[in-house]
Amino acid sequence: MNLLDKFAPQRALQESLSEMGGVAPIATPMDRIESATTATIGGRRMILAGTNNYLGLTYNEACRAAAVEAIGSQGTGTTGSRMASGNYAGHRALERALADAVGWPSCIVFSTGYQTNLGVISALADSGDYLLVDADSHASIHDGCKLSNATTIRFRHNDPENLERRLARLGPDAHRALIVVESVYSTLGDRAPLREIVEIKKRYGAWLLVDEAHSFGVYGERGLGVCEEMGLLDDVDFIVGTFSKSLGGVGGFCIGRHSELELLRFVSRPYIFTASSSPPSIASTREALRQVLAGHELRARLWRHAERLYAETAAFGYRLGTTVPAPVAALVFEDRAQALALWQGLLDAGVYTNLMIPPATPAGLSLVRISLSAAHTDEDVTQIISALEHARRTVFDFA
Amino acid sequence: MTAPSLANIEAAIRDALGAIRPGAVGLAGDADLMQEADLDSIGVMDLVMEIEDRLDLSIPVETLAQARTIDGLRAGIHQLSGGHK
Repeated sequence: MNLLDKFAPQRALQESLSEMGGVAPIATPMDRIESATTATIGGRRMILAGTNNYLGLTYNEACRAAAVEAIGSQGTGTTGSRMASGNYAGHRALERALADAVGWPSCIVFSTGYQTNLGVISALADSGDYLLVDADSHASIHDGCKLSNATTIRFRHNDPENLERRLARLGPDAHRALIVVESVYSTLGDRAPLREIVEIKKRYGAWLLVDEAHSFGVYGERGLGVCEEMGLLDDVDFIVGTFSKSLGGVGGFCIGRHSELELLRFVSRPYIFTASSSPPSIASTREALRQVLAGHELRARLWRHAERLYAETAAFGYRLGTTVPAPVAALVFEDRAQALALWQGLLDAGVYTNLMIPPATPAGLSLVRISLSAAHTDEDVTQIISALEHARRTVFDFA
Repeated sequence: MTAPSLANIEAAIRDALGAIRPGAVGLAGDADLMQEADLDSIGVMDLVMEIEDRLDLSIPVETLAQARTIDGLRAGIHQLSGGHK
């Protein structure tokens, strides 16, 4: 067996995808992006209902103008790490704005959301420390654990009692344990039982990091996420998030209630050994953050869409990943072919969604993931719902 | 806490395997779980969580990252729990 033979399964997958013809359901080629909610795919105009553009800010006029101005005044890239020549005023101002938004002393900005979890988790927890992570966590969390020298223990998804048993076994070492959860899980759209997790964390003297990647900008009075909405900001130690969803850029952040977070800059390899975010990305994100904090109308529109989609989809007989409305609706299938048929049916009706299949999904489920945006119009949502209704009659037998 | 015996560990592994893959309970100790029980890397980690509950023992992800058989899991867990033959 040689070096490349192990890729045989991926070769087979690639070939089966190309044999399907038509528009590929994975790594779907976007011919031309037209707006936050529309693109040309396979030569046809589609409504985009498979992005993470929850507030639609990628095409916001002020965000675009900020990015263009930053290219003019600072250039296209920094060509350096934050620890070398890439530590611009904009990066520091964005960190200050994020920390101030939560009222905590420290924030570090990373070059991508993936690197944020890699950089924060691997640096916070070292030899002798423990990472207790939800089993269904995003790959960036699991990979952050791999990069860390700490001992990683997984607990059952959204199961506080299962977490508590693992903390109890640690005894006094629970004080050296960092619990890592996501406030909203991106595949099924379900929320973590944060109140119970906070209670356990306090009782055992452990630490808590909450990933608000899919909730920042969307939940809470000021859009700070689920922790804000639930009134738990005083009980959480670290919040991580990304610029590449509601903020419409590329990058990520960690906000900490402990000033020691600042010291991670000296030890976090994914922070040190990479170029800092480009000036246009930082500039558009700063403007997007301003809009998020005052974005009540954007959030109201997004939630109106979400509640409508959940109500109608459930009425059609689809099985949803969660019954609590969220900006993401996962239609769940045991059978991969059914999920693919729905994905294709929606595409034929002019609606692009995400097909998600194992091993990228929990419990071996196949999903069609629909995501909404404040930039969707009521007519867009009507078209998405009509496509789902049509697919119910033509693809499935639960009409 | 008394360390579980090798026999107890194997019973827990087979019981846990039965919960995830009912057809795989009787697999040979050296059978490749990924191929014979159709478990991917996430499946093996889910199996480990089931075993943890049965033995009341936390098993770090790193400890068993390379274990691919029932015998391999048994040996890794036995060593972890401080057990002796």
